Amino acid sequence: MSADDPLVRVDGLEKYFWENDSVLDRLLGDDPVPVRAVDGVSFDIRPGETLGLVGESGCGKSTTGETVLRLQEPTDGDVAFDGSSVYDLEGKSLTEFRRNAQVVFQDPFSSLDPRMTIGGIVTQPLEIHDWPWTDADVESRAELRTDGISADIVSVTVDDDVDKLVSPVDGVATVHVTVRSSDVAGDVDPDERGIAEAEGAVAEVAEDLSIDVERGDGIEVHVSVGRSTKQLRLDRARDLLERVGLSVDQLDRYPHEFSGGQRQRIGIARALALEPEFMVLDEPTSALDVSVQAQVLNLLNDLQTEFDLTYLLISHDLSVIRHVCDRVAVMYLGEIVEIGPVDELFEDPKHPYTRALLDSVPRASTDERDRERETLSGDVPSPRDPPSGCRFRTRCPKVIPPADLEIDQETFRELMTLRERVESRDISLETVGDEDEFDLEGGTVVAADADAFARALKGRLLETELPPRHDEIVEDALASVAVGDWEEATERLREEYESVCERQNPALEADDHPVACHLYDEEAGRREAPAPER
Amino acid sequence: MISDRIKSNLRQEFKTSLLPKVGLVILIAIVFMALFAPVLATHNPNTTGHFDDGNAYPPIGVSYDSYEVVDGEREPYTVEFSSDHYLGTNNVGQDVFSRLLYGARTSLLVGVLGTGLAVLMGVPFGLVSGYYGGRVDDAMMRVADVMLAFPSLVLALALIGVFGSMSIPVPDPIVTAGFAEGMPAATTLPGTVTLVVGLVTWVWFARVARGEAMAIRNEEYVKAARSLGASNATILLKHVLPNSLTPVIVLATIQVAAIILLESSLSYLGFSGTTLSWGYEIQQGQDYLRTAWWVSTVPGIGIVLSVISINLLGDWLRDSLDPNIEGEGGGA
Amino acid sequence: MTEDILRVNGLSTRFFTEQGQVNAVSDLDLRIERGEVVGIVGESGSGKSVTARSVIDLIESPGEITEGEIWFNEPDLADAVADDYPEAVDGSFVNLLEVPKQVRRSLRGSSFSMIFQDPESSFNPSLTVGEQIAEAVEVQQRASANPRSTRAKTQEYSLGRLMLSTVLPSKKYVSEASRERAIELLELVGIPDPVERADEYPHEYSGGMLQRAMIAQALAGEPDILVADEPTTALDVTIQAQVLDLLDDLQDETGMTILLITHNLGVVARMCNRVGVMYAGEIVERGTLEDVFDDHVHPYTEGLLGSIPDLESAGGRLEPIPGNVPSLLDHEMPDRCYFADRCPKAMEDCLSHPPEYEGRGTDEHEVRCVLATQEYSEARALSADYFGKDDRTAVDKHADPDGFEDDVQPERAESTVEGSGGERR
Repeated sequence: MSADDPLVRVDGLEKYFWENDSVLDRLLGDDPVPVRAVDGVSFDIRPGETLGLVGESGCGKSTTGETVLRLQEPTDGDVAFDGSSVYDLEGKSLTEFRRNAQVVFQDPFSSLDPRMTIGGIVTQPLEIHDWPWTDADVESRAELRTDGISADIVSVTVDDDVDKLVSPVDGVATVHVTVRSSDVAGDVDPDERGIAEAEGAVAEVAEDLSIDVERGDGIEVHVSVGRSTKQLRLDRARDLLERVGLSVDQLDRYPHEFSGGQRQRIGIARALALEPEFMVLDEPTSALDVSVQAQVLNLLNDLQTEFDLTYLLISHDLSVIRHVCDRVAVMYLGEIVEIGPVDELFEDPKHPYTRALLDSVPRASTDERDRERETLSGDVPSPRDPPSGCRFRTRCPKVIPPADLEIDQETFRELMTLRERVESRDISLETVGDEDEFDLEGGTVVAADADAFARALKGRLLETELPPRHDEIVEDALASVAVGDWEEATERLREEYESVCERQNPALEADDHPVACHLYDEEAGRREAPAPER
Repeated sequence: MISDRIKSNLRQEFKTSLLPKVGLVILIAIVFMALFAPVLATHNPNTTGHFDDGNAYPPIGVSYDSYEVVDGEREPYTVEFSSDHYLGTNNVGQDVFSRLLYGARTSLLVGVLGTGLAVLMGVPFGLVSGYYGGRVDDAMMRVADVMLAFPSLVLALALIGVFGSMSIPVPDPIVTAGFAEGMPAATTLPGTVTLVVGLVTWVWFARVARGEAMAIRNEEYVKAARSLGASNATILLKHVLPNSLTPVIVLATIQVAAIILLESSLSYLGFSGTTLSWGYEIQQGQDYLRTAWWVSTVPGIGIVLSVISINLLGDWLRDSLDPNIEGEGGGA
Repeated sequence: MTEDILRVNGLSTRFFTEQGQVNAVSDLDLRIERGEVVGIVGESGSGKSVTARSVIDLIESPGEITEGEIWFNEPDLADAVADDYPEAVDGSFVNLLEVPKQVRRSLRGSSFSMIFQDPESSFNPSLTVGEQIAEAVEVQQRASANPRSTRAKTQEYSLGRLMLSTVLPSKKYVSEASRERAIELLELVGIPDPVERADEYPHEYSGGMLQRAMIAQALAGEPDILVADEPTTALDVTIQAQVLDLLDDLQDETGMTILLITHNLGVVARMCNRVGVMYAGEIVERGTLEDVFDDHVHPYTEGLLGSIPDLESAGGRLEPIPGNVPSLLDHEMPDRCYFADRCPKAMEDCLSHPPEYEGRGTDEHEVRCVLATQEYSEARALSADYFGKDDRTAVDKHADPDGFEDDVQPERAESTVEGSGGERR
């Protein structure tokens, strides 16, 4: 595998959750409803980089992270880790994947088992993967140095399993032993591990191992691991805790004795225990105060450099994304709308959603009040019933109207909303007009009143004045609504006002900085003029 | 396994309210009575005919009027209490006090063993059902629902019909060691009843454990364990089980009381494997309620006191443990 | 035009918990002018929420306002209570802590109202949104028909009436007029189709909509001061922007005064005229927005601003404040600057508790830090391990006596965070 190949390749990943899917629902004949949490997402993560996945709550970013790690089975699509599909892994290769890919969660309170000690939590991955590992094929060898003693009288034996602690090079684990005469060595602390004394000789091993020395005819030195597996694991846990900035004497304490930031560090230590290549960071700082967030971000940054980690950082916080990531993918309603290098995406956002997202973040500076910003109206639609075509079109400030439509964006936006309500029959007729102005029979207005009713309804639904031609069209359609013919109204409006944005879901082009928006779709651009800017 | 926080909460609740103390004192007394029944008892509880005049003798300080028919004539006389029998005797002349002590044995034994059985069956069932969810859960919970659909007494009677009556003699160490001469050498454990009360109540444990497992399986530490490659069995044993125990413990205390009641009902109906039972005793005495009221009342008080005391302790456990499930998560 | 509407002097709020006395707010001064937006910013456990609740009289046992004065400018109220409580009145100002509880309670809704972080738990899920807002309107109308009487508010809406209204719809507490007003309010806060939406239940609203509805409810009594406690923390950025715009517009239209509590410096910059930065129960720096953001003196303000990753430009290492938020337990608060143990510029002078000094910005600028009066000098600096590693061994549970600030979990255990000394500049 060359250096340019991605470490993680996500291809058309889909994850649906099903509602109304119990036995009872089946019996009652309810059809399962898919909730399209992730709906066809593709991206690559290159070794050593940090890819940011940003979006608002419910956009599917966390589900993507969990599915990539195979904590959820996908509905469709594939994830390749190091070239092989994550969902095909079994047995040994799955174990290896579990070792190489780790996760840090958002909630520092639920991510640690309240009934386990910190030591138990950090050694858990070691237990599951049966660390320390020893390989019978690895040879053990000692490199001996002597000082004040002839090397000829020293014999060194090394246990076979020292590769638990000494990483082998070319199938050989080498330990470095020094034997000195007591005169040279001076006073030694006999309790210290890795150093031993016997009648005028002091033996020392450079690695984190135990050493014994005996004086018979010559000097016999024995190097061993010298600790139980349990002890080794606790020692490793101590190292890890120290690395993430916690004091090492806290192994016996329980999570509730720690603050949020400290717990998050414990979670990071647990993820680091098996020296993974890849880490999914799922909102790792969202629950923390800003000053503590900064500490944790710095820590993650340092660890990435130190251990050559590849990160997938999931966050809703754009400033965190900007600070930490190399590349960013923006998600909206289960789809990626834009991916690009972090600077490009933040300085020159292409997708209207990305722009709006960036515009919405309040800056901590005194100019903030006067900053020009374009914010979005409306709410994110439900992933149970996503809009047709481009999913952002219901909130997009730049929907593309049909060619040669002489109304401005704002009015077109209103018409879109009106159409949507007609289509979903979400207009209540009872409350139109003054009290008792219109008679409603069986929920519809009598035909004679239909036109007046339509005018009253239009007045309520639209704020802006329409050009005469469009005024007529709308009143026409609303008159159909008044007499209960919703289909006719729907049809009439669609004929006139259907936008490319609702017909076609824009594709994410293969590109350095791909964006899924019809505004950048050349073909569409030629066919239909882009909307005038607001 | 129980954190310091919980311990301090338990202490706090215990200090501030009186009821758990009352409950604890009563329960300790009952347990003491049951454990040392052979030593405390004044008579062998099975020995009949302490008085062969056919009268039930009243408790100390009580007397009642009776009559004798001599030559077709009623001859009234008064039955005085005997200081030998603290709580009198029953109609067949057995010592009520001794039978009360031995009855406590049966009740507690069935209560604890029955609950233990229910926990052993219900908790694994519920944990598996809740943890796996989906179709597994659907299927398993339908089984549980069927169990719940029967009134427990009816279900118990049906099961007794299936299993028949089974009495297991359990040798009494105190008697065997020679500390209490003349007492029964073995206590009879009503095996069928124990089995049946376990079978009737396990569903409650299954439901509670399932609810806990469903919540815990979505906790991030479970996801973290899964991402580390832990097997489902490991996750169930190391994470789900320990974290779901608190409500199970609370339920278990309350179920002990419920089972004592159920056992009493069963033996009242005559389905116990032993005659040394409070429920049986009440049934025996009910024909004499107007005259020899103590025969039924004494074991009745035993039932009431033990059930109340256990429930008081259960409430205390619930109050002090429950908020802590969240408190522990909430930290602050 | 600028007239003070609220003056808080020397306010201290304490919580008496099992672990000891928690000094949630200590000796706090605050001045709010009519029609301005004042922000209080701080991390979790800094006492910002307790401050807001103290002002609006929502402190409950085991909490207690132990000291201080809250002067509220309201001539009508001053007239009304002047005879009975002359010592509580000063011109048109009334000291709310000197008048009986009922009087204070009667101000809720009409003079003060509050919006919270979590709109979902602020609505009753079994009543329609419109009904709940109409109820708030009704309460206020009955109260204003009979000013200063709490009976009008509380007694008529008793359990008996509630049950009666369930049985007999005609006996509903809420009048038709209130219902219409509720719809107007929903329209005012930008809820589309308020007529239909009023009849929907809270679960049919999205988070942003519900937050708008809560604002509508808070506006029912046309309050003089709106206290907004983390109003956008639970919302997504695009929705947050909408809600902030809304608050902005409402403030322009009605001229109401807003006290905004938040941990988000961006929100403060977006909304506020004046800001107070809270740390360990005190306002450590206050002033105009420019004073605090551009001319700050206190190293805590500096650290807070330095902790935020910049959205406009990439990279660079963040400069976090080392250590954790301090314990507020009385016996663990030594008599010194509370920030000294985390401060990169701690000096010997910081070992006594600093008063408020004039800052170097506008007249409004005040700072609780000796750096306002003298330059930092290396010679007088405290050594990096002066406070030692074990100085703060307070554990989580001391914090936040009644969960007021459980939004973001407090940082409050040993200071074992990375390089506790190394981060100092």
